[in-house]
Amino acid sequence: MHQSLPAAVNRQQMLASRRMRQASLGRALFLIASALFALVLLVQVLHASGAIAAGFSDWRPVLYAYLVWGIALGIRQVLLRGERGLRALFLLPAVLFTVAVVIFPTVFGFYIASLDWNLSSLEGPRFYGLGNLIGLFHDTYYWNALRNMVFYTLAVSGEYAIAFGLALLLNADISGRKFFRVVFLLPMMLSPVAVSWMIGKSLLEYRFGPAATLARALGWDNPAFFASPWIARFSIEAMDAWVSIPFIMIILLAGLQAMPKEVLEAAKVDGANGWQSFWHVTFPLMLPVSITVLIIRIIFKLKLADIVINVTAGGPGGATDTMSSFIYRVYRDRSNVGYGTGLAMFYLLIIIVLLSLLLRLSHRWTQKVT
Amino acid sequence: MNNREHDQHHPLRPNRRTVLKGAVSAAALGSTGGLGALTEAALAQSNLRAQISQIPGIGKGAPTDADWQKVGELCLGPTKANVKEGEFKGVELSFMGLNNQNLHNLLFRGFLKPWEAYTGAKISWIDLAQADYNPRLQQAIATGTVDFDILEMGAPFEGDVCGKGLASEMPEWVKTQIDINDYVDYLKPPVGTWNDKTYRVTIDGDCHNFNYRTDYFSDAGLAKAWKDAGNAGDWGVPKTWQQVQAVTKFLKGKKFKGQNAYGYLDAPKPWGGFGFYFLGSRASAYAKHPDDKAWLFDVDTMKPRINNPAWVRAIQDVIDALPSEPPDQLNADPNTTGFQQFLAGTGSMIPWWGDIGQVAKASDTSVIGDIVGFDILPGSDDVYNAKTGNWDKLASGPNHAPNCAYLGWGVYVMARVNGDEKKHKAAWSAAAHLGGKDLSFWTVLYPSGFQVHRASHFNIDEWVTAGYDRKYITSYLNSQLSSYNHPNRAVEPRIPGIFQYYSIAEDELTKIFAGQVDAQTGANNIAAAWEKLTDQLGREKQIALYKASLGV
Repeated sequence: MHQSLPAAVNRQQMLASRRMRQASLGRALFLIASALFALVLLVQVLHASGAIAAGFSDWRPVLYAYLVWGIALGIRQVLLRGERGLRALFLLPAVLFTVAVVIFPTVFGFYIASLDWNLSSLEGPRFYGLGNLIGLFHDTYYWNALRNMVFYTLAVSGEYAIAFGLALLLNADISGRKFFRVVFLLPMMLSPVAVSWMIGKSLLEYRFGPAATLARALGWDNPAFFASPWIARFSIEAMDAWVSIPFIMIILLAGLQAMPKEVLEAAKVDGANGWQSFWHVTFPLMLPVSITVLIIRIIFKLKLADIVINVTAGGPGGATDTMSSFIYRVYRDRSNVGYGTGLAMFYLLIIIVLLSLLLRLSHRWTQKVT
Repeated sequence: MNNREHDQHHPLRPNRRTVLKGAVSAAALGSTGGLGALTEAALAQSNLRAQISQIPGIGKGAPTDADWQKVGELCLGPTKANVKEGEFKGVELSFMGLNNQNLHNLLFRGFLKPWEAYTGAKISWIDLAQADYNPRLQQAIATGTVDFDILEMGAPFEGDVCGKGLASEMPEWVKTQIDINDYVDYLKPPVGTWNDKTYRVTIDGDCHNFNYRTDYFSDAGLAKAWKDAGNAGDWGVPKTWQQVQAVTKFLKGKKFKGQNAYGYLDAPKPWGGFGFYFLGSRASAYAKHPDDKAWLFDVDTMKPRINNPAWVRAIQDVIDALPSEPPDQLNADPNTTGFQQFLAGTGSMIPWWGDIGQVAKASDTSVIGDIVGFDILPGSDDVYNAKTGNWDKLASGPNHAPNCAYLGWGVYVMARVNGDEKKHKAAWSAAAHLGGKDLSFWTVLYPSGFQVHRASHFNIDEWVTAGYDRKYITSYLNSQLSSYNHPNRAVEPRIPGIFQYYSIAEDELTKIFAGQVDAQTGANNIAAAWEKLTDQLGREKQIALYKASLGV
């Protein structure tokens, strides 16, 4: 049945008018929610800073106002943009959540980093500008920890080589393959804190540790694993590697299994030996997987802390200290919140720059090799 | 018995004067008819103490939760005298304390269960590991989120809590209930007080004493080797740090009972600030002059003394001794030296809190048992005078300065209960129960994390009745009491952020001990960092609080 033209026009006008009403309602709702959020936030900021007496006992009402604002934003999207708004609703909660738990804390972290704030100070926090940043450039402990991080990060290449070897082994047709796959994964399932105690403080213990006893039997008179700087550094790296190699290995193994078998067979037909087919076929094909796993591993490595804190507390003489274990001491043992946050924020920037460079270089290199 | 040992025994020994005074007092009480009643009460208390001392019995394994509850139940008498049954029904209290290996909150739970059943109050627990304790407390203070009513806290934090008005003042009835006058002198005000107000129920007394292996120092073979090596004096327990150094170096490379022999055990690895106390114990005899109450900072300026010749000498002693200590000693913290080395049979001398004496005898974790003796910390032939810049030799002989490190744990009630009368009374009643005179006797008998802190804890007969060997416990208690009562004791500065100073020092000390910088340079670095911290915390306020803490 055909509608007459005036009726269709009439209906369109009605729809347009309804949309306008909805849009106005959406705008109004959003404006009210925004005003409410801004008001609650302003009142609480003024109250917390001591400017006004009225306010809330905690910041929870601000969170509620943010939630209300988020809901109003969602309604506004639907009322204003219709179908497109509905689609945006799928993304909006994730965006709001990310803003609340990632972006806001990061921005707030930069604010805290600009304060001279020691929890024991009777004066409380005071604005310090770039003081903490300038301070860290003169902090020998910070740069010592950063130097150690270079060592730990470079050691990832060793972990990668071992993990690749194990992955190749587990990918080969060996007996007990399934058993070894599970066994090799076990260290990854252990908490680094448990590893610190089981290995660092028991197995490697100087007096009664089995590793020390074995070392003595092999002719090392004083098998002290944490008393000299380089041995301590290698011992810490070995423990961290033991926990992490299975992670690298399992990702590489997944990559190997996904690799087309025909390519390797073709290499074999062409007369390539084992090493040649690995170096010229397997390794280049595995580069994207390798780079992904290396980047993830380096990110984890840059956060190394628990084993160091538990086993050596950064010693001897800062030889095993990491950025995280140093920040931990500044923040926790010394309650130096402003400086500790400053150190963490600067380290974050270093990591972002480093990883961006690494990604760009690896991208170029992958393109060149493949 | 030399003069010093005689002095140590003096407070415990009856003499003509005290016997006569006691007889006169008894006669006076008898004439007023009070003697009978008092004797009965004293007898009942004595019976109670004897009864709880057998739970579970020394040498009969580690006490369990059932034992703690039994002790808590038996010690409810003082609570019942001040609180009616069910008086606190509906009251909920939050208790923040430690859950570390030395028990603390685990004990409190057991002790307070019968108290909860009797009074009707309910307690919720905030359990913290020792390392988490300081940051949690500081955050609560700084962010104004004190979410606990009762707090187990060490005296070093009093500046942070009491100095900021966060604690509730102790009511008079609590002072009576816990018999506050029974505390040993060094734990009496100014400790536990701020601006003349009392805040703390003391449950612990802390000082470092000197623990040594009696078998090492009575061994004829070692005595002969000592003489043969041309050492001066007889082989015996060192009385000065100079002797400690000599013995430690002498034992290097020797065997004792089939194992490597070691002398003194240093604890160079950082331990959340607590490790600094162990350098303090080496330094106190050098740095704490009898004419000067201060030894860590100049009292008028807060200028650090850590880089003065006395402290640098102590640091150098550690550097000199480390090559004669176990090869992995650089990675040993005080927990290692105390529990994994000394109590496990390695080494012959360590300073520690009184836990060593308790654990050696009353815990299954020790292998050394009775072959341990105790003394106050070694002295020094000379002492540095920070005012004149000279090393003085005292006419009285070696300078001794027991390190009253940490001053023990206490229970504090927070000011937030002040607005609610019922809650206020309930919180203080719980604190008073934990700090009760008889209950405290049990905690110092058994592994608990708490050491002797009352005059009434020094009745040796009670310890012998409980199962301790008389010679052993006499040596142990004398080392404690002589430290507490020593006129030249080095007392913990209860200033805000004190553990930050210690933590910073630990970081630098580990560099010194690893050979990266020399003792003087490292000490200068610590001093510079301390100056910076003092400025950050507010120099004038720190000076005022430091003076208050030293009572000057």
